[in-house]
Amino acid sequence: MKKLVRDALIYIAITLVIWGVIAIVSPAKGLLVGEVAYGAFMKAIEIIIAVFIIIGLIQVWVGPQTLSRLLGKEAGWKGLALASTIPLFIGGSLFTVFPLLKTLRDKGASIACIMAFITAWGGKAPLLPLEIEFLGWRFAVLRICLIIPFAIVMGLLSQFILDKLQRDA
Amino acid sequence: MDIGVIYLSIAFILLILSAMKDTKKTKQALKASGKIALTVFPVLFLIFILMGVVSAFVSKETIASWLGSGRGMLGILIGEVVGSFALIQPAAVFPFAGVLHDRGADYGALLGFVMTAILIGISTLPLEIQLFGKQFTLTRNILTFVLVFLIGIVFMLIL
Repeated sequence: MKKLVRDALIYIAITLVIWGVIAIVSPAKGLLVGEVAYGAFMKAIEIIIAVFIIIGLIQVWVGPQTLSRLLGKEAGWKGLALASTIPLFIGGSLFTVFPLLKTLRDKGASIACIMAFITAWGGKAPLLPLEIEFLGWRFAVLRICLIIPFAIVMGLLSQFILDKLQRDA
Repeated sequence: MDIGVIYLSIAFILLILSAMKDTKKTKQALKASGKIALTVFPVLFLIFILMGVVSAFVSKETIASWLGSGRGMLGILIGEVVGSFALIQPAAVFPFAGVLHDRGADYGALLGFVMTAILIGISTLPLEIQLFGKQFTLTRNILTFVLVFLIGIVFMLIL
């Protein structure tokens, strides 16, 4: 918790310095920067709060135990199908996803499943409202639709490559 | 009605449903949300100011010439390289991409930026190597880069 607060303060300090320097060098540009930042903030704030609440709920109701129960033992096509879709709905960053996947791997999930999982997680469905607001629904829908085949190809192809590398070694 | 209000209402309805089922779990969820907010808001503050900086100092012509449709497939590659090095939270990726879009970036280049910013992280490489090994990490990052490029072409052609 302490580290969280410290990191937060560092980010805020860096931001204020950048903004401050610009405002001192050119007050007009400083004002413009503030206006754009304020506009983006107002556009996003309600959506972001909603998204945070939903991600918090997902974290509690779909915990690591649920995930490893679903993915740890399921092998073959079923495992790959699950690994290419379920992660769409979980939050976090790579820093939180990697340790979770290490646990799954140790429990026997295949390379294909792990690779597909990471890729599908990049779908980021909880952030969909934000994506639609800033990039339009056509972009968002196309991206979500393509992420599932992307995850499956990623899983199969990397399993193939890593198996081959292992055999050659 | 404002779209933000709709999302907020959905979130609160889910929150109430969750609380009716299990108060303790719901409290945990709110705590998790608070933690996420504490992590992401300062980063968002920085990103929003950087968006202002881009708007104030980088002309539309510059963005368009690097990431615009005139660049063709090279624009996708540039977007991917920028995304791979961008140290930003997934939640901040979309607002930032939005500014690039307003300034003339092509959808293919934006897809490249968004996907690599989420999936490829120079900052997470050490952790990935430590947990899964070098071969895994190299294969994943290179393959992701290549496949995202192909998806970028689809975006360029369709959108």
